[in-house]
Amino acid sequence: MTASAGAESEDLAAPLYVAWQITNECNLACLHCIEESGPGKAFADELDRDQTFAVLDQLLDSEVPYLSFSGGEPMLHPHFFAMVERACERGAQLKIETNAHYLDRTNAARLKELGVKAVQVSLDGASIATFGRMRVRGEFDRVLDGVRNLRDAGVPIEINFSPARFNLHEVDAVVDLAYELGAYSFYTGRTMYTGNAVKAWRHLEVSDEQYVAYFDALRAKTEQYRGKMRVYFHEAGLLEELRYRIQHPAALLIVLPNGLVKLINALPFICGDFRKDSLAEIWARFRSAWHDPRVAGFVDDLAVDPGRTRTLHQWVYL
Amino acid sequence: MKLAQYVKFREEKFGGVLFETRSEKVFTLNPTATAVIREIANGDEATISSRLKDRFVDQGDAIEREVSAFLAELRQRGLIEG
Repeated sequence: MTASAGAESEDLAAPLYVAWQITNECNLACLHCIEESGPGKAFADELDRDQTFAVLDQLLDSEVPYLSFSGGEPMLHPHFFAMVERACERGAQLKIETNAHYLDRTNAARLKELGVKAVQVSLDGASIATFGRMRVRGEFDRVLDGVRNLRDAGVPIEINFSPARFNLHEVDAVVDLAYELGAYSFYTGRTMYTGNAVKAWRHLEVSDEQYVAYFDALRAKTEQYRGKMRVYFHEAGLLEELRYRIQHPAALLIVLPNGLVKLINALPFICGDFRKDSLAEIWARFRSAWHDPRVAGFVDDLAVDPGRTRTLHQWVYL
Repeated sequence: MKLAQYVKFREEKFGGVLFETRSEKVFTLNPTATAVIREIANGDEATISSRLKDRFVDQGDAIEREVSAFLAELRQRGLIEG
């Protein structure tokens, strides 16, 4: 009788986690946005209502236990609350990844009532000036109000922080702020050179030396908040992460707003299309796609030219 | 006794998986462990052992001991409550 940590996706009948970018529309235009989301940036071919619920029902029929809705800003999706309701009432654990600008008291209470597992909010500064520099068009105070509304409604809160050379000095203060706001976890990693970050890299780029100090500061915060709030971070670089993933693919599908399915966010490869393929077909293709020599080839090329991540939006169909 | 709030269970050909969605940790279950998880909602430790004895060959009180140890492990990992 055993419960062993980890599971190989090769052995599973369906994914364990589906990260669904339900729209590319966003009220903000963040300097580092991987998805290049922003006002007016919804894809022309985003799934319609029937297609959206057909995908969702397939995921739930297959007992995918964990879903996340992100964007863009997911709360701008015209059927956002109906999707949340369907996912929660059918027993999935659902996380919402939002910029918190639409979390008024009513919406926060509704998310609680519907039973979301957690709401993840991006907070890239502890001051209006720093936050606003990263989150273009963002309103710092509105974010704090949104998080407080979640806390008051009893919704579990996760805070995320994307590092840039101009906000590193505030990370300690953001961790403290996350705790004051009632978050149960704080997460950060390295900001990736892709999407909007390519154009803004001279403002964003963090040196190796700065990252060493950054992760040292986070280790201290991890200890400071042990038992009170989970502070965790992903220290590995992209290349190291991808090399590990080729050997051990996570049982995770990334679904784009138009139903295309990416192998992993940090690679340009598309392994399915929910407008044409069933979940079973996509899952089978996902598992074989990790063995495609083009995937290993792309990762090998990254070792020579890390800047190739700028091409992640030039999708390659496997 | 029940699965903890943020834990999901799914049966698989090889047995099953438990997914602790807060820490995003996954645990693979062999067939007997899967049988225990299936029974968790139906009763206490003694009931689970009794039901498993109906389905698996028992040598002495091996099933009782293994169920007890397994449930203790699940509790320690925060995967069950109650």
